[in-house]
Amino acid sequence: MPPTGLEPARMNRKKGDKGFESPRPYKLTHQVVCINNINFQRKSVVGFVELTIFPTVANLNRIKLNSKQCRIYRVRINDLEAAFIYNDPTLEVCHNESKQRNLNYFSNAYAAAVSAVDPDAGNGELCIKVPSELWKHVDELKVLKIHINFSLDQPKGGLHFVVPSVEGSMAERGAHVFSCGYQNSTRFWFPCVDSYSELCTWKLEFTVDAAMVAVSNGDLVETVYTHDMRKKTFHYMLTIPTAASNISLAIGPFEILVDPYMHEVTHFCLPQLLPLLKHTTSYLHEVFEFYEEILTCRYPYSCFKTVFIDEAYVEVAAYASMSIFSTNLLHSAMIIDETPLTRRCLAQSLAQQFFGCFISRMSWSDEWVLKGISGYIYGLWMKKTFGVNEYRHWIKEELDKIVAYELKTGGVLLHPMFGGGKEKDNPASHLHFSIKHPHTLSWEYYTMFQCKAHLVMRLIENRISMEFMLQVFNKLLSLASTASSQKFQSHMWSQMLVSTSGFLKSISNVSGKDIQPLIKQWVDQSGVVKFYGSFAFNRKRNVLELEIKQDYTSPGTQKYVGPLKVTVQELDGSFNHTLQIEENSLKHDIPCHSKSRRNKKKKIPLMNGEEVDMDLSAMDADSPLLWIRIDPDMSVLRKVEFEQADFMWQYQLRYERDVVAQQESILALEKFPTPASRLALTDILEQEQCFYRVRMSACFCLAKIANSMVSTWTGPPAMKSLFTRMFCCKTCPNIVKTNNFMSFQSYFLQKTMPVAMALLRDVHNLCPKEVLTFILDLIKYNDNRKNKFSDNYYRAEMIDALANSVTPAVSVNNEVRTLDNLNPDVRLILEEITRFLNMEKLLPSYRHTITVSCLRAIRVLQKNGHVPSDPALFKSYAEYGHFVDIRIAALEAVVDYTKVDRSYEELQWLLNMIQNDPVPYVRHKILNMLTKNPPFTKNMESPLCNEALVDQLWKLMNSGTSHDWRLRCGAVDLYFTLFGLSRPSCLPLPELGLVLNLKEKKAVLNPTIIPEAIAGNQEAAINPSSHAQLVGFQNPEDDHLAKEASCNMSAHQQGVKRKADTPLGSPLEPGQILEKNEDSSKVKLKIRFSNSQDEEEIDMDTVHDSQAFISHHLNMLERPSTPGLSKYRPASSRSALIPQHSSVCDGTPTTKPQWSMELARKGTGIHLGVFNLEGKEQSPLEMSMHPVATAPLSVFTKESASSKHSDHHHHHHHEHKKKKKKHKHKHKHKHKHDSKEKDKEPFTFSSPASGRSIRSPSLSD
Amino acid sequence: MADTAATAGAGGSGTRSGSKQSTNPADNYHLARRRTLQVVVSSLLTEAGFESAEKASVETLTEMLQSYISEIGRSAKSYCEHTARTQPTLSDIVVTLVEMGFNVDTLPAYAKRSQRMVITAPPVTNQPVTPKALTAGQNRPHPPHIPSHFPEFPDPHTYIKTPTYREPVSDYQVLREKAASQRRDVERALTRFMAKTGETQSLFKDDVSTFPLIAARPFTIPYLTALLPSELEMQQMEETDSSEQDEQTDTENLPLHISTVGPAFCLLHSTPKTHPCCPQPITLGSRHDLPRASGFVLGT
Repeated sequence: MPPTGLEPARMNRKKGDKGFESPRPYKLTHQVVCINNINFQRKSVVGFVELTIFPTVANLNRIKLNSKQCRIYRVRINDLEAAFIYNDPTLEVCHNESKQRNLNYFSNAYAAAVSAVDPDAGNGELCIKVPSELWKHVDELKVLKIHINFSLDQPKGGLHFVVPSVEGSMAERGAHVFSCGYQNSTRFWFPCVDSYSELCTWKLEFTVDAAMVAVSNGDLVETVYTHDMRKKTFHYMLTIPTAASNISLAIGPFEILVDPYMHEVTHFCLPQLLPLLKHTTSYLHEVFEFYEEILTCRYPYSCFKTVFIDEAYVEVAAYASMSIFSTNLLHSAMIIDETPLTRRCLAQSLAQQFFGCFISRMSWSDEWVLKGISGYIYGLWMKKTFGVNEYRHWIKEELDKIVAYELKTGGVLLHPMFGGGKEKDNPASHLHFSIKHPHTLSWEYYTMFQCKAHLVMRLIENRISMEFMLQVFNKLLSLASTASSQKFQSHMWSQMLVSTSGFLKSISNVSGKDIQPLIKQWVDQSGVVKFYGSFAFNRKRNVLELEIKQDYTSPGTQKYVGPLKVTVQELDGSFNHTLQIEENSLKHDIPCHSKSRRNKKKKIPLMNGEEVDMDLSAMDADSPLLWIRIDPDMSVLRKVEFEQADFMWQYQLRYERDVVAQQESILALEKFPTPASRLALTDILEQEQCFYRVRMSACFCLAKIANSMVSTWTGPPAMKSLFTRMFCCKTCPNIVKTNNFMSFQSYFLQKTMPVAMALLRDVHNLCPKEVLTFILDLIKYNDNRKNKFSDNYYRAEMIDALANSVTPAVSVNNEVRTLDNLNPDVRLILEEITRFLNMEKLLPSYRHTITVSCLRAIRVLQKNGHVPSDPALFKSYAEYGHFVDIRIAALEAVVDYTKVDRSYEELQWLLNMIQNDPVPYVRHKILNMLTKNPPFTKNMESPLCNEALVDQLWKLMNSGTSHDWRLRCGAVDLYFTLFGLSRPSCLPLPELGLVLNLKEKKAVLNPTIIPEAIAGNQEAAINPSSHAQLVGFQNPEDDHLAKEASCNMSAHQQGVKRKADTPLGSPLEPGQILEKNEDSSKVKLKIRFSNSQDEEEIDMDTVHDSQAFISHHLNMLERPSTPGLSKYRPASSRSALIPQHSSVCDGTPTTKPQWSMELARKGTGIHLGVFNLEGKEQSPLEMSMHPVATAPLSVFTKESASSKHSDHHHHHHHEHKKKKKKHKHKHKHKHKHDSKEKDKEPFTFSSPASGRSIRSPSLSD
Repeated sequence: MADTAATAGAGGSGTRSGSKQSTNPADNYHLARRRTLQVVVSSLLTEAGFESAEKASVETLTEMLQSYISEIGRSAKSYCEHTARTQPTLSDIVVTLVEMGFNVDTLPAYAKRSQRMVITAPPVTNQPVTPKALTAGQNRPHPPHIPSHFPEFPDPHTYIKTPTYREPVSDYQVLREKAASQRRDVERALTRFMAKTGETQSLFKDDVSTFPLIAARPFTIPYLTALLPSELEMQQMEETDSSEQDEQTDTENLPLHISTVGPAFCLLHSTPKTHPCCPQPITLGSRHDLPRASGFVLGT
């Protein structure tokens, strides 16, 4: 094995700790990336890379590299031409046009495909053969230089081009391009070893228009103009060994700002935004100072660059010595709400510079260490900048998030260990995706993973103290920086990689403490802890009897054994007790200190040493307990449900100084709608010293309590008098003061209170008129002229408040919503919304917050039946070209509409946008929103759930999203939400469930479907009859039969074969023959259906990328049986169809059309085309079939012999359009009860849309 | 000789002016002056020995003479105003002439030359009176301490205030109401207008006019409008920067913050009031004042 930097200290580690062992038989030391041409018009890139590698084994003859999407022209090794193979199994995950359609199958196949090219396993898409001339050279382990020329045309992932369509040169238009992607995605834009563990030094060269700036990693060595002075080349050098995955690029007409505080930091933004950039980044140096101070380590790179770009993939992306941010983080000094968010983003990216970019991970299972450390130090920064309250609040928030996620979806495993790679011991079997690779993870899971990682880091800190923690970090960093300066000892570079075991070793070395149990509990195991606590006070013994139960059987939970801190606030003070949670002990006796009953005069000491006077009258006279808290420091990842009396919660809210405790008590008080709770909450609201977020949540709690006690509520609506007192003029209480947001606490309270007030309901469950008038007055008298700050967020929240006040409309007999029957209150609300929305067009607000709120409010009005439900408005706002926040808000409304109105059209529209929208973030977001708010779920009957949709989504995740890991995983999530893990219930029988043998007139059940027990049985019952019908139907047209049968047969046979070797990578001999047909058929298609042809081509492109084409040819040459081939099957089977259609269109007046459709169903699985006969929708896929299907029909109707059939068909069509629901119901009905009818109408079940219309004629027979 | 030229000139212009004579007195006045100048030019020509001259050349020379004299006048006026006088004196003229490169010393000799012709004074026509622009009231006479050559007072309405007897509304509530409704009216009118003139969307299929929404129009560069503060806001910013938040009728409970350094978020996160070890710094914007961990540690 290669020398992999085993230093003595590391030698004595346990098994599996042997430093870093490269999975590759060579070591990469240096890479040159040269992009000499970037064309914004065509969105293309041309360049080359040169990798310097040292073989570490003698017989190295193949070199595997990562490359996706790139078109590779030529590979040379030491100036000798080298043969290469390109094979990317992730382009299309499941081949064979498999009809399996179950997610289990897909996830396995996808994980297999990803690991087949996983650089961490030494694999890659590009396999280069070392020329035989060099073998001797290699045997001497001498250096190899691999030179690869490549180009990139209209990349769909990895590099994102933003080219606004305005007049002017590219620079004037603000066109720019930047690298992006989820995890290691650098292979999308240049060939490399796309692993976080393969470090090397870099030379990066980018030739761009003279008006453009190229920003990349490392130091800008020089910029050289070309001879004609029209272009210039930026030369960057990165001497610190860096993984390819941390290489990035941004090119655009950037405005440049050198940080006035730190000259090695440079900021870049798009034209015209410089003033915003100045303000936004003016804070960054403080973050630098903070991190450098706590880590006692200088920032590792010699420079740092921030680039703010449009259409960002994620808000923050950290790369070596450079971070790419969304331009939407920029803000002016007038904006309050965005400021902390942006600062957090800046701090986050900077933390990742140290841990993530400079220190990289050894393998995917070590990711949690880096995410944990960067998240943890980011937390320290939060604590310092925003204060302890904010920090604790944030920790609580994150804890709640991860707990909620794990309880819902199942555990999040930080350090997955894979023994032997067997699927059996998959630690995450509860999930619908594999967690072995970052690229198969659901995005939500990954965010939760990061969240858990930093929380666990905090737990470690709790155990070993912050001082030791920082020492560990410092140790890691100083080791890494020593290693990075070893220019010529590349084997030392592995010291810059962090591994779980290395990290733990450092901890035990530095602190001398054993944290193994903690690691075992939270890192090696998934799940959170769920405590149920209750107590009783034993007066005689003066003992608190605490009972703590655990739920460790529900998914996502685990058992906790170990110490648990309980804090008891008694009359005499606050006392901490550490309980030992063990297997069987539920009860814990805690002795109380307060013997004496209340001593009226005495002040009560609190945990923090404060002594306060309390009104103790509410207390239980027998007990000295004020309140009890379980695990107050959040040192377990847990959810606690604790029972204590309402007055104890109220005391806790009033007097406990910890914001988390206050928040918990607010949550608990919701269940105690009493005047005492009300008082406690209003007191908190008025207390200016109280943390503003606590006050904000108190508002909402108060609203809930007020609603619960609506019959006994006295006085004005909750919070109204309070708001008047705080924010309205003394002389005229109905008029709000002119805005002055200098005090941010009051600002946030002022924003929130009306929103909460609008949730108040009177006895009729309506929003009190008084409240609505009040909010309308706030809007009316809002005056921001003298304010230093923008009031856009405030106004937006006022609209939110209006939306909150809306209650469902009383509707009489489903009357249509018109203006005349509009509720007068709603009219007022609508008036405001209209005005706001229109004013936004003239004076847009920052980030269009007001438009966003208006759109949401309109959707609320629609949903509550005040305004006709209509997605048209939202669709117009969702178009490309609107600000992204607006688009997302509008899309959210469309998603909601799709669900509520079960609109197939809108669902198609959304799916279309997922496939075609130019902005990756928006596409991701739509999938995400559809998953969160699905139009239907797996256990639900819905008219939307049909075969076409299954096919569409399947295609989307199978091949349509191969250019973006995140998007593909999003599609998988959606598929899971809609259909679950197993075969979608709406699917008909698997294709070729029946194997038809025309000669023997026999039908045999396809063996592949037998395992699916239930479905299979039904199918078995159905199929023979369908076969019989098929034959019976054929009889009258015997002469055609002869012709058709041959075609039919071949298609069938082909299908059978395909089915038989379902697993990956099966060769298909007939496919190759048919493939030749394809060309000619395509030509025919061109002639016949010129309009459909476009669609056809687009369709082709999405499936078969250009590389696929290359790989295909390579495969043809090298390995005739690679999976790459089978991509062509859909096309080839299509080709079997098309000639027939064209012949039909030539006017042969027979029943052929039906047959061709039959073929479509049977042989190729293009159900969509047939479905199109009935459904109104036309997806691109269907379009290609449409003319085919209709034209023959018209011919068909003329045929007197079969006119009945067509009649039926038309009738059906009509019916379907009109009464979609009823129709569906019918199906359901039949499916469930009518076992007799099954025989008669077999295809009702199998193919609700297509089969029936064709089959049903024989019913009447 | 000169006469012919002069008469020809005079006659020519005379006929032309004749037609214009009736038009207005100002023209008349100027024509008379011009005619005199022409006579001067003609006589000078005669003096120089010309027997006849073409009309065009006489006109040109007249033009030159006129501009020369005008220039002397303009320049002299400037000199006189420069020394804070309203009437040019001889020395102004002399300085002017010197400035224009004329040798003043030769002037007396030239004036007394023998062959000079004496021209009759131009006919006395009244300087046309520019009609007074709408005067209102009597201009005030100068008070005694102002010398009489100083310009007159302007019309009284420009400086005399007219007392009205109705108190302007200063009631805070009414003002606010008025401002609010005015702004709403303006906004509503404006948006309605925009909606009328452009494409609209509607929430109700049956009625497109009651709640007209200006149609959503995609931008080519959407982030610019979304991020950059509008001009109105910028203006507002400058205004508020120069004038501190103005007094309201009840400002007593407005916190007074002097600092203008950007948003300082430490203020958001005040620790509980009675906590001893962490007085929350009120100074905004200076990060060094922030306690390292705000001191609020549980359990100590």
